[in-house]
Amino acid sequence: MSLWRDFNAGIVRENPVLRLMIGLCPVLAVSNNALNALGMSVAVAFVLTCSNLVVAAIRKIVPDEIRIPIFIIVISTFVTISDYVMHAYFPEIHKALGVFVPLIVVNCIILGRAEAFAYRNPVLNAVLDGLGMSLGFGLALVSIGVVREVLGAGSIFGLQLFNPAVAATVMVLPPGAFITIGFLMAGLNKLENKVR
Amino acid sequence: MRNLKLGIILMAFCVISAGLLAFVYLLTSPRIEREAQLSLERSKSEVLGGQKGWAVLVKPRGYGGPIEMLVGIDTQGRVTGVKILNHRETVGLGAKIVDPKFLNQFKGKTNADALEPKKDIEAITGATISSRAVCAGVKEALKKK
Repeated sequence: MSLWRDFNAGIVRENPVLRLMIGLCPVLAVSNNALNALGMSVAVAFVLTCSNLVVAAIRKIVPDEIRIPIFIIVISTFVTISDYVMHAYFPEIHKALGVFVPLIVVNCIILGRAEAFAYRNPVLNAVLDGLGMSLGFGLALVSIGVVREVLGAGSIFGLQLFNPAVAATVMVLPPGAFITIGFLMAGLNKLENKVR
Repeated sequence: MRNLKLGIILMAFCVISAGLLAFVYLLTSPRIEREAQLSLERSKSEVLGGQKGWAVLVKPRGYGGPIEMLVGIDTQGRVTGVKILNHRETVGLGAKIVDPKFLNQFKGKTNADALEPKKDIEAITGATISSRAVCAGVKEALKKK
């Protein structure tokens, strides 16, 4: 039961983007279309789950004083691996995401989960927490990406829906990210109030 | 003693991490290089459209930084095609320079053409600087070859 709770915490109750509001930098930057958002979500999911796994596995042998540098080493190792693999096998997405893949190193979601969860819990719980948080991050990011792409470019995953001339270009520009996130947060709050 | 122990633990983690990364690098780097080579070759044949000539790489200054572009020129000095390889223009405005509708206008142009927005090239709405940069790039390529 607690395993299931650890898994689903990140999806709505503690959604990293719409609830905890952490790791917003890549969310704002790469959510201008649905495909970029999906690519970023997959990279973050890989890094977050693997780093949670390793941090939980080594938590008994890591001295308290140097846990942060060790977390950073673990995280940056997985980030670099995902960067290489993306570059080799998905060069198009790699090009579109650009500097935001290496910047996953400083994404607060990952260090935050390592410190707040993985360092204090068994491996299985930590992995489930990582998967749940990634899913929450991915759902938020992809929904923002879809909204921005549809309204701003008139397409979805690159598939043209209507004439882009009538689309609101501002939605694919930075302000569009803030507007979309604001509405999504408001919507989620409203939904939660209703449930209560 | 305690500090030394901490240092050694940290070093051990660094060594493991470095070893792992070296392994992944060896695994992926041939593919990354081949991919880069292939994509350049593909772009070259794309801008030339199967004709004989030159593919000239130019980097005019755009709105958000240099625009890396490849210009295909046939043996008679006519533009056969233009491809944007890398750019940092504004999404939704200047980024439309990759649009075939815009780029196809350059086909057949020579050194004798004006190659300027409002004259013989229709600029992208709201992206005069980016459009002008691409024109300048094509001009530069025509002089260079």
